Amino acid sequence: MNEMTLSRRGALKATAAAAAALVLPVEAPAQQLPNDGLFAPAEPPARIGAPKAYIRIAADGRATIFSPTSETGQGTHTGHAMIFAEELGLPLDRITVEVGQPGPDFRRIQGNEMNSGGSLGTRYWYAPFRKVAAQAREMLVAAAAQRLGVPAGELRTAEGRVVHTASNRSLGFGELVEAAMALPVPENPTLKPEGEHRLLRQPTQRLDVPPKVRGAAKYGSDVTLPNMVYAVVKLSPVFRGELDSFDKASIASIPGIIDVVPLPSGVAVVANSTWAAMRGAKAINVRFKPTPHDGMDSETFSARMREGLGRPGHVNKNDGDIDAVFASAARVVEATYEVPYLAHACMETDNCTARINADGSVELWLPTQHQDFVQGAVSRVLGVPRERITVNTTWAGGGFGRRYGWGAAEHAAAVAKAVGRPVKLIWTREDDLGQGYYRPAQVARMRAALDASGKVIGFHFKASGPGTGTDLRPYTIRNDFDPTSVQSVADTRYRFGAFRTEYVRVDGPPIPWIWRAVGSTQCGYFVECFLDEVAQAAGKDPLALRRELLAHDARALNVVNTAAEKGGWGTPLAPGRHRGIAYVESYGSLVAEVAEVSVTNGAVRVHKVTVAIDCGEFVNPETIAQQAEGGVVMGLSAALHEGIVMKNGRAENTNFDSYTPMRIAEAPVVETHIIRSGQTIGGVGEPPLPPAAPAMVNAIFAATGKRVRTLPVDRTDLRT
Amino acid sequence: MVDVSINGQSRRLDADPDMPLLWALRDLLDLTGTKYGCGIAQCGACTVHVDGEPVRACVTPLSAVAGRKVTTIEGLHPEGKHPVQQAWVDAQVPQCGYCQSGQIMSAAALLAKNPNPSDADIDAAMEGHLCRCGTYQRIRTAIKRAATS
Repeated sequence: MNEMTLSRRGALKATAAAAAALVLPVEAPAQQLPNDGLFAPAEPPARIGAPKAYIRIAADGRATIFSPTSETGQGTHTGHAMIFAEELGLPLDRITVEVGQPGPDFRRIQGNEMNSGGSLGTRYWYAPFRKVAAQAREMLVAAAAQRLGVPAGELRTAEGRVVHTASNRSLGFGELVEAAMALPVPENPTLKPEGEHRLLRQPTQRLDVPPKVRGAAKYGSDVTLPNMVYAVVKLSPVFRGELDSFDKASIASIPGIIDVVPLPSGVAVVANSTWAAMRGAKAINVRFKPTPHDGMDSETFSARMREGLGRPGHVNKNDGDIDAVFASAARVVEATYEVPYLAHACMETDNCTARINADGSVELWLPTQHQDFVQGAVSRVLGVPRERITVNTTWAGGGFGRRYGWGAAEHAAAVAKAVGRPVKLIWTREDDLGQGYYRPAQVARMRAALDASGKVIGFHFKASGPGTGTDLRPYTIRNDFDPTSVQSVADTRYRFGAFRTEYVRVDGPPIPWIWRAVGSTQCGYFVECFLDEVAQAAGKDPLALRRELLAHDARALNVVNTAAEKGGWGTPLAPGRHRGIAYVESYGSLVAEVAEVSVTNGAVRVHKVTVAIDCGEFVNPETIAQQAEGGVVMGLSAALHEGIVMKNGRAENTNFDSYTPMRIAEAPVVETHIIRSGQTIGGVGEPPLPPAAPAMVNAIFAATGKRVRTLPVDRTDLRT
Repeated sequence: MVDVSINGQSRRLDADPDMPLLWALRDLLDLTGTKYGCGIAQCGACTVHVDGEPVRACVTPLSAVAGRKVTTIEGLHPEGKHPVQQAWVDAQVPQCGYCQSGQIMSAAALLAKNPNPSDADIDAAMEGHLCRCGTYQRIRTAIKRAATS
């Protein structure tokens, strides 16, 4: 990336201040959650015309959207551009999307954070962005009405122009910007009626695809600054280990080494190329302090989580008299399931490029999903106030929640300060997979009470293990209860009768983190596979049981029925093939999936997955299909092959020779069916993932008669 | 000093001959379309052509490409409109896009040798590539589309 590109934002800002540009934010969000030091302090509401804005229309008629959402591959930037394009009447190719700087305009009401999580990029910003775009349109139209001397009602916008059809006159947006800026911002603009929509809900090609196929897209690790040095870290291989000492002389003979900078958890080797830094990081002699978990391995930790199931946990949902129901049950079904720690394994490893300017201000370039965490962390490391730290969000080579982390940013800031030069710091794949930030391992014991007719009259879900909040958001844990550990269970639409959800906190050595769909990943697997066991015990078809439990909920029933119908549930299959079904609601969207699977000599092959998703309202069906395809692959990949193997307090599988995500030959056909229910818009990036694993595992049972209650599947022998 | 042709241009690189081609491309020539993913030839993100053959630049020392022709994603087509690149746009393959330079280089090498690959041919040629966004279905579609274009 060259300097012109990097400084483009600043240049545009200067231009905008001097020349005509219509800039608009909506009403500012308010702070609702506590401030734990990482969060920005509450700030006063932004005003119209403030430099931090969602859209700027320049005198050349082009628009720049300042998005609150990082583009990690989920396609949100194109969706945001579509919303503005539709409402304004501006062609997509005249819109550029950039990520804004952390500030009140870009923080959501929930959490007072600027982040890209919770599948909220479109679902949160859909309504406010339509409103802002409509405000801008009405201002442009009002300016044109004055100029043309006609009533605003006779004007419409199209192709970046305000058009007066009767007199065959039109004015370009750019010509109108200066006059429009002087007008009041309409408080309640009229949204374009659905009948006039040309772009919303149409499959639309993504704006980021052309540069991505030319190798021209710039990711964080592609940033280059003048006079820059390169740094690679060597961190404690034992989770949470701290630096004891290091021997700089041990790498003195490697050409290109510039310096070694101590960090809390290791060292950064600074050199004149990435390769020299990597060689140094591999060779340097570093000692780490002992930790309490130097001897911990996966088996011991699994036993510790299972012991947790024997202790009373925090009960967060307790409907009905569950003890009485179980005492009176004609039959009780019980099973215990387990999942391992999972890595995100983003294709681009954690990285950050940092520059400390002569005036003490700091600039960062990185692929982050959480600008506020990064800014806060670097502020603490350098003792520089947040407002003097610029966070330039690059495109990210994957995110999946991993990029809520600020590790590389802290390291890059420390190195830039120590060596007095700009630095690009990258984590190796081994650091990226081996330093924690995992979807937590967890176990769950479930019990279902059936009456004499086979009806479910009680359900008790009890999970044990680490939550996701201990390091990320400690304030979300109250009474040792981490809400993500019962995610998609406590709030299920299923009606079980008496219903209890319970969680026992058992912390582990690695830093636990949010991983695409968070607690819904393991909870979806636990509950949906267990329900198949319940169906079997009750002598019911798995689909029929789910219909029974959702009989009161037309929306959920429709999703399950759509997946079943499109997936051919109950219809004949090719020899050797079997189906499984699962239904999980997360992040505001309801998703059911049918997997078609064969098992040959113990080897699982998923042929096809049919996805039915009701996300209420939607913007770009093309990206929904992409997210469904990708979510299914990631869910199946994790369930089949992935799991961090812990030995002596460290991860054993820290590169792709031993941590082995799914490759092309194994990838199923994914068929996506979008249901537009007109309900509140839901998320898309995460919800298609959780049903994939249980749908497959249920199909494996249909094929083999074996219940796989511990993931990953490939550690279970499925040969008879 | 290593003499090598990169995207049709003769380059003399003042670098350690042991430096992997990946880091020479990225750090010395600012050709950042070729990506680091694993450093051990397991993910394919660093795939380039050496005399037309797909190789993993992360484990290929500069000395091994001396006097040879290296093509990176930036040099695959002067306007970025190689049939494989166009098929990738038509099929809307990329999500995060980070692995796609490597995927495209392998697909282009496959089609240069085998204009009509079967599913098994595609599996064999593309098995060395990881895509964490799970774009495999569209990669298959795009390769077939490029084959018929």
